[in-house]
Amino acid sequence: MNMIVGGAVNIGMVLVLAPFFQGVLRKVTARIQSRQGPPVKQPYLDLLKLLGKEDIESGEAPVLQRFAAYLPLAVLLTVACLVPMGFQAPLNGSGDAILLVLLLTLCGICTLLAGLASGSTYSLIGINREMMCMMTLEPLFAVAIVMGAIQKGSLRLDEVLSGAVYGPTGFALSGIAMLVIMLLAFQAFVGRAPFDISEAETEIMEGALIEYSGPKLALFHYAGMAKLVVYSALFVSLFLPWGSQLPLPVSFVLFWAKVLVMVLLVTTVAATHARYRIDQAIRYFAIMLVVSLVTLAAASYGF
Amino acid sequence: MSVMSKLKEVAVCLNAGRVTLPYPADPKPVPERFRGRPLFDSVKCIGCAGCANNCPSREILILDVCQEIRVLTYLGRRCTFCGRCAEVCPEKAVTMSKEFETGTDKINDLHQRLELFMSTCQRCGRCFKGQSPLEALKMKGYRVDDLANDRWVFKSTAYLKGQPGLDDLTIELEG
Amino acid sequence: MAISKKIQQLKDKFGPAIQQVDIPGDNRLIIYIDPASVKPICQYLFRDMNGRYVISIGCDDRPYSGKFQVLHNFAFDPDKILCSIISRLSGDKPKIDSISGIIPGANWAEREIKDMFGIEPVGHPYPKRLVLPDGWPEGHHPLRKDVPWNEVPEGFDETREFSFDETPEGCTVVPFGPFHPTLDEPEHFRLYVDGEFVRGCEYRGFMVHRGLEKLSETVLGYNDVPMMAERVCGICGCVHSVAYCQAVEAGAGIQVPARAEYMRTIMLEIERLHSHPMWVGLACHLVGFDTLFMQAWRIREPIMWLAEKITGNRKTYGLSLVGGVRWDLTPELKAETRSVLDKLESEWIAVVSAVSKDKNIMARTRGVGIADKSLCKEMGLVGPVARAAGVDIDCRRDHPYAAYDKLDFKVIISDTADVWGRLIVRMNEVFESIKIIRQALDKMPEGPLMAEITEELPAGRLGMTSVEAPRGESHHIVITGDDNRPRRWRVRAPTYQNLQGIPAMIKDQRLADMQISLGGIDPCMSCTDRMETIDIRTGAKKVWTKAELLSLSRVNKG
Repeated sequence: MNMIVGGAVNIGMVLVLAPFFQGVLRKVTARIQSRQGPPVKQPYLDLLKLLGKEDIESGEAPVLQRFAAYLPLAVLLTVACLVPMGFQAPLNGSGDAILLVLLLTLCGICTLLAGLASGSTYSLIGINREMMCMMTLEPLFAVAIVMGAIQKGSLRLDEVLSGAVYGPTGFALSGIAMLVIMLLAFQAFVGRAPFDISEAETEIMEGALIEYSGPKLALFHYAGMAKLVVYSALFVSLFLPWGSQLPLPVSFVLFWAKVLVMVLLVTTVAATHARYRIDQAIRYFAIMLVVSLVTLAAASYGF
Repeated sequence: MSVMSKLKEVAVCLNAGRVTLPYPADPKPVPERFRGRPLFDSVKCIGCAGCANNCPSREILILDVCQEIRVLTYLGRRCTFCGRCAEVCPEKAVTMSKEFETGTDKINDLHQRLELFMSTCQRCGRCFKGQSPLEALKMKGYRVDDLANDRWVFKSTAYLKGQPGLDDLTIELEG
Repeated sequence: MAISKKIQQLKDKFGPAIQQVDIPGDNRLIIYIDPASVKPICQYLFRDMNGRYVISIGCDDRPYSGKFQVLHNFAFDPDKILCSIISRLSGDKPKIDSISGIIPGANWAEREIKDMFGIEPVGHPYPKRLVLPDGWPEGHHPLRKDVPWNEVPEGFDETREFSFDETPEGCTVVPFGPFHPTLDEPEHFRLYVDGEFVRGCEYRGFMVHRGLEKLSETVLGYNDVPMMAERVCGICGCVHSVAYCQAVEAGAGIQVPARAEYMRTIMLEIERLHSHPMWVGLACHLVGFDTLFMQAWRIREPIMWLAEKITGNRKTYGLSLVGGVRWDLTPELKAETRSVLDKLESEWIAVVSAVSKDKNIMARTRGVGIADKSLCKEMGLVGPVARAAGVDIDCRRDHPYAAYDKLDFKVIISDTADVWGRLIVRMNEVFESIKIIRQALDKMPEGPLMAEITEELPAGRLGMTSVEAPRGESHHIVITGDDNRPRRWRVRAPTYQNLQGIPAMIKDQRLADMQISLGGIDPCMSCTDRMETIDIRTGAKKVWTKAELLSLSRVNKG
């Protein structure tokens, strides 16, 4: 019973708050750019508008397109159920940390599917870039989770996702180093500037999403917004768990306040940076990955 | 250091504040010399056709109904608001107003038509003197009654065989 | 002195091939030559006398002298001379030796002459149709005097498609355009891509032909053309209208009053002040940095308001007529101008100091879109593109016009030859423009705004002028005519030459750098495509529009 209520709350919060956070992102970006910006409820209106349009299927493999449209949002909502959002995760015990890592990778593959289903030159270039980014980027999250698992000695989600990286003392050096690395790479996980390469509008006309319009595009945009929320939630539960032991209403509000802070951080960095080229980005991720592996080794030796 | 330049850029942004203007709720007034839609005053107009002569887009047309009546029409379709008509008018009958919100779905909303009574000469009793300097300039194509010969405002013809021709001028001047 | 030296040099070398020499003004040289020696003469001018290639123009002079004319224009920047080498060709199917083998920058100009006049460039390395649409029948050349301006040719074949070149080995094709979110005007770069690297490209443009040159010869009058010239481009409109007026004034020998010259100078610099911040914003948008895009345009907005206060419109100033200008500066407007300039300067200093140390932007623009000095010479590249490569040319100093010879300013040069260099050059030119306007405001004399023109302008005179647009040298020539209109008017926008340099600039670069390389030349397609086309009425709901889209999408398949 608890699982169903908890699952509904988690999924509901993500679905309701994802456009809200996107709206906050757009408004703050606009104010940094000295302009008025759209109202905070604009992403809701955009999604409604797209959902009301004609569902055209073009591209090489229309059936795959349909499948590819639903998948990212579905995966992200599943991940949302695995993350403790102010209270214990609803699907706690149904899966462990490895499931989490695999689900996150699946989410990245969805973009590849989307681009392949379209088959146009631009989408193929887009998924090419996305693939290169994924190969160097996804392992980073895996390393963070594995580090948490090593410190706690267990792969159980509720143990790993409660600040396990900081080890038994609560202030492990490797944990803090991992926090810094993840902060530096966070923009890439959520696909915002300076690492929004695979969807560079001005360069390759939206990349993988070029053949999607109407309701399918709405789903992709929704998935993009939800990605920001879910990844922020993961980050908060991995690295900023303080206060989650407080009684329920307080910890719930505190959790979402922390996610808001993450969103504002993402916004500020996105508004003040130019997009990196793919080779520059890959070099950056590769360096991060090497450093994180070193940190992981340090963690396993108890630092 | 890159961080310093980013901080300087943020300082530039935040110093400016919010610059979006609340148009159309509170429109900014246009400056004095603004060249909006030209307005033709039929009281001041003497029918010299200087404006028609100098309009680069040939949007001002003259039609001599008879000896004493000259019709001046401003079509306003391709008007570029250059202000040459206002500049050359000897009687200041053309003024460039401040209106710029001229979007409409009916082309005739922009149409202005002046019907002018041309007084006759006290000596010879006629309105025109024959070869006027105006005619000497041979600026053909702006006279509605001369359209058949040498048009600027042209009749669109089919460019591929089998497509019907269209007399766009008739469509636009009527109704 | 310098002119007579050059004439003597040519006469010594080529003797009887030099048929006639005209010196219409202090720094203008017109040489009529024997068409058979056009190649050796142009080669000598280009290589041995170090002339800069400007443009080649065709002219149909048959109603007057019975011959076609081909003009090859060169510039000797250190000596401040503009020179035109004219070959007169007879017959209905005239031919002339192509100079594109020696001067690669003449490639497009000669193809255009072929399309428009039917003058065959013998030995052209790439004689493909450039300007006319695909379905246009052969043998029908729009700029010839016997072709009416509104004639639709018999035999227009709407199903004929453009045939692209062979794709090189091992490359895939990435079509860039004609519709692309980056650039607002239609152009098609067919990129041959090997992985992430561009190995070659084919350009197809001239999709927005408007027939301006033909219209100026047939239906417009001398004073109507400046209004149309202003609409050649939505960014450098003032440049084109002033350049046209100057060319007519040079040909007809009209002296513009001093106050009008200063007024033209001030408005031209105001135009530069609106164009360069706009470009900086656009370049940042191309690399994904929207914040700086918004800020640059916010800083630029007061310039647009100022232009509206002075001329009545933000961009189409309607400034020049043949013989002078239409608008004047009152003391209040002068004070307003000064305060706007002060504000702009202080904000721009902040932007420049932020951007010039920004490693993020540098990473995207350093080493990208390289155009070194030799490429600049071969292709005749002009403007900030050339100045970023270290080529010291600027029409305001080299071929002074308006009031520039009385004002003091620096020419900004960089030496990196990449997009970063162009960014630095354009940012610093803003400060020079502000300096020029301040000096002009101080030195502006009282007096009339228009020259008194009491008789008809003499016909058959050739006037040439080069004006420094924000993008580079804009070169206009006018041959005056009778019936109150020019006989020939040719607009050579700076982008015409700079676009020809693009394939070399993007070769072996990454695909991701394509946009910013293209953006680095600050392309202005509307300046480039301004020649004759079919005047299609789109008033009624015609099937043509759909067919046009259909044929375009057929062409762009893969």
